[in-house]
Amino acid sequence: MKRTTILAAASALAMVATGALAQETLKIGALTTMSGAGASWGNGMKRAAEMAAEDVNEAGGLEVGGTKYQVEIIAYDDSYKANEAVTAANRLVFEDKVKYIIGTVGSAPILAIQPITEENGVITMTLGFTAQALGEDKQYTFRPNPTTAEVAQPQIDWIVANQGVKTVGALFPKDETGEAIAGDLSAAYEKAGATLAAKEFFERDRVDFIPLLTRIIAQGVDAIELDGNSPVTAGQIVQQARDLGFEGVIIRTGGPATQEIVNVAGEAATEGMFVHSAFDPGVASAKAYEDRYVETYNEPMNGFSPFFYDGTKMLFQAMQDAGTVEDTEAVKTAYENITDYEGILGTMNWTGADRYGIAHQLDSPFYIARVTGGQEEIVARCTSAGCE
Amino acid sequence: MSVAKSYPTSRSLPMGLFWAAALVLVAVIPWITGSTFHFHIAIMVCISAMATGGLAVTAWVGQLSLAHAAFAGLGAYTSVLLVTRFDLPVLLGLPAGALVAGAVAFVIGAPLLRLRGVYFVLITFALNELFRLIMLDVPALSGGSSGIAGIPKLSIFGMTLSSYEEVYPFALLCLALVMGLLVLIRKGQLGRRFGAVEENLALAEASGIPTARTQNLAFTLGSAIAGFSGAFLAHYVGFISPETFGFQLSVSYVIMLVTGGRLALWGPLVGALFLTPLPEFLRGAVEYQHIIYGVILIAVLRFLPQGLAGLPAQLSRKGDRS
Amino acid sequence: MSFLIAQSLINGVILGTLYLLMAIGFTLAFGVMRIVNFAHGEFYMLGAFGALIGVTWLGLPYPVTLALTIVFAILFGAVIERLVFRPFRNDELSGMIASLGLAMILQHGALILFGPDPQAFPAMVSGVFKWGALIVPKSRALALGIGIVILLVFYLFLMHTRHGRALRALVQDQEVAAVFGVRLEIMYPLGLGLGIALAAVAGGLMAPLFGVSPFIGATPLLKAFIVVILGGLGSIPGAALAAILLGLIESFTSSFVSASAADIVIFALVIGVLLVRPAGLLGRAEV
Repeated sequence: MKRTTILAAASALAMVATGALAQETLKIGALTTMSGAGASWGNGMKRAAEMAAEDVNEAGGLEVGGTKYQVEIIAYDDSYKANEAVTAANRLVFEDKVKYIIGTVGSAPILAIQPITEENGVITMTLGFTAQALGEDKQYTFRPNPTTAEVAQPQIDWIVANQGVKTVGALFPKDETGEAIAGDLSAAYEKAGATLAAKEFFERDRVDFIPLLTRIIAQGVDAIELDGNSPVTAGQIVQQARDLGFEGVIIRTGGPATQEIVNVAGEAATEGMFVHSAFDPGVASAKAYEDRYVETYNEPMNGFSPFFYDGTKMLFQAMQDAGTVEDTEAVKTAYENITDYEGILGTMNWTGADRYGIAHQLDSPFYIARVTGGQEEIVARCTSAGCE
Repeated sequence: MSVAKSYPTSRSLPMGLFWAAALVLVAVIPWITGSTFHFHIAIMVCISAMATGGLAVTAWVGQLSLAHAAFAGLGAYTSVLLVTRFDLPVLLGLPAGALVAGAVAFVIGAPLLRLRGVYFVLITFALNELFRLIMLDVPALSGGSSGIAGIPKLSIFGMTLSSYEEVYPFALLCLALVMGLLVLIRKGQLGRRFGAVEENLALAEASGIPTARTQNLAFTLGSAIAGFSGAFLAHYVGFISPETFGFQLSVSYVIMLVTGGRLALWGPLVGALFLTPLPEFLRGAVEYQHIIYGVILIAVLRFLPQGLAGLPAQLSRKGDRS
Repeated sequence: MSFLIAQSLINGVILGTLYLLMAIGFTLAFGVMRIVNFAHGEFYMLGAFGALIGVTWLGLPYPVTLALTIVFAILFGAVIERLVFRPFRNDELSGMIASLGLAMILQHGALILFGPDPQAFPAMVSGVFKWGALIVPKSRALALGIGIVILLVFYLFLMHTRHGRALRALVQDQEVAAVFGVRLEIMYPLGLGLGIALAAVAGGLMAPLFGVSPFIGATPLLKAFIVVILGGLGSIPGAALAAILLGLIESFTSSFVSASAADIVIFALVIGVLLVRPAGLLGRAEV
């Protein structure tokens, strides 16, 4: 069990650092996906929380209202399933008595655990892309990562203007998420002066896209859009589109997944692809985080991980501002009131009042990158206002 | 089914009392510890035991259904839609879920049950997939892949069971009713008919038992119980989606049934009691959890063909021999 | 329009051949051992990882890697037969449930060993063959070519070797085969080993096309299932017919109607066939 070793090491360090000062433990739940297909995101989130905890523990603990807290991360798996998430949330809230949960990865699990967490005033931080995750009636749920809804328009405007894209083809998973994204993108391309001319829907576990791509390419599109697809599926689409001799632009709007896409499709197929990136290796703090991640866990960093590191760090600050770890209503208000937070990814602010009815959506800078030799090369810097 | 050919014989009375006392003791654990989380686990055990009980009824006539999750889903969606769209009380939604699941099973049962053994398993596997695909295709009804959240909680006669402590007695009551139904079936004439069909279909047919009708009756009853448990699950958890009732849920019911004892009366209860809390002991070793499941399943099949419920009998037989 | 029909035909045949590789091993294992192997897809996954290890870690040539995959898979299959399936001979239901457990062990074992992220598999060939408007990706043509060679070798083995004939005799009738001196102690592990090897080599062949991760086994398992149900459990000619049929149906409905229609059409077809001809298109009737 990783958490105990980290805690033990950290508390040993803390003993040396702070001597006899009274130590309390602050438990934070990490309810993420650690087995099954969502595990790369889940691990990225859990590890972000672990590293944020490690930071404060190494500094002798988190000082809130005159008490020093050792932060302990309690990690449970939800296997990306709503039922499992409910059981794990019950355990975290009632058995482990946590007041803060980093999770969940999936949209269904967060909707399933909200009745428990909202009612008990437990602050959650989800990755789930569903618009329903945030709302006026969900005072304790926050989302530290931008979703397609936040990034699509500026990114599409830039690509349409700079790449001369007129018609776009796209494949989406046949479910509500896929359909919602298809609608959003259609409108965004329209607004930018292009059309989403060919749309195809497929069952989520499909691996062969040749028939669908044959149809899309036959319609003579300038570009293929990958948004709404899991990284693996997106990679397969890229590879098979190039296999079929497609030479146009490939675009991934929203959702950092470049490394996985390159892994699946190969460097040759992804050359010249335009992707959404949340990560500028030119920013020293971001690069340092990635290095630390790779060094600690010996795996490539998941693109969402830095958001949850910043989100957790912001949460710590909110506790300090509120002067309590027990009164989550005060912490929640303090969390909402944080402005211009300087995170490892850049300057962060809360947004989303117009879209969700509550400003619990983090707005962070993001980038458009061109893939060269399997690596992202940043070509434009964006905020929700636009790219340049 | 070579080894566990016949039903285990009923145990002597004092042994039965001992086990009954043990069950009661286990059932009151949450009240002793007072932990909300233990209440939650206990409720989940009740729901799993009900569903697995339904699977057992079908297994008693020698058929293993991999569409059990689909029937649970059918019951869940029926109840949720009736309650949210037609303001039906939840207390009526649960039996309505059972009714619809049972009715569907009755209609498709006749052609389906002409298939036996692995062929029946395969077609029920395909049915479960078909159910999931169709539900995903009608988001107006099923909520699509985002599912339906905020399902009304369980309530009896207008009184909402808002806390776990209030839900648990109701769950126990429902479980007792389901187990009571199982006992009635098993000990009655129907049970003997089931047993005869399971043991030797041709012989049962020859001795005048309407085997097709018997199997269909078992399948209908079992699937209705699944529908009831699914509806209970939906109102308790408060969230359902087509993915909730996928292949994996069917498999987990099969694992509970086999681990508990495929043909034993108390098999479903024992299986659910053993396997539902198990992940809680393994949450720290989450990577190994599924491997441990797999090993348990194979080991039980290999060494305890009558499941955990058959363990005492197996042990005492060993004791007699030595 | 005629271009789209011809293109769909080509796509369908390629897909069908790849499905056949999966299905034939599955149906062989059932024919010989009467086991519906739910872990079949996990052997596909392990084969893909085997190929990945051979090509990227050890730097072996692709054909050598595939050959090694086959050899290791046969050995592994024999071990699995001994450890997991042997106690459940002639007990179809228990054997099938055991395979569910085996699938969980293998998939999560791979998850622990290799991690959840998809792994890069280098492209073996790139570019396309073009005849007018018709296009065949070279990567698919390569997989198709090797797949056909493997199927031919397998066919020759079944038809013209002593062990092959013994396997066919077992599929026909267990008891008669035993009476005529077919040694079950060798034939059971060999049957399962060969079945698993075909799944593993299918994984190795498709790794460059579809990528490698611990979760890739589910889809091919489903396809093998469908093919084998359509063709008849244990029937190899049935599997061949059904695999090509499935590939064509998928390709045509995807190209002319929609992809999600294809899945529902196929499942409806499976249920229809099972109800009308429970033994499948070319299978022998049960009992």
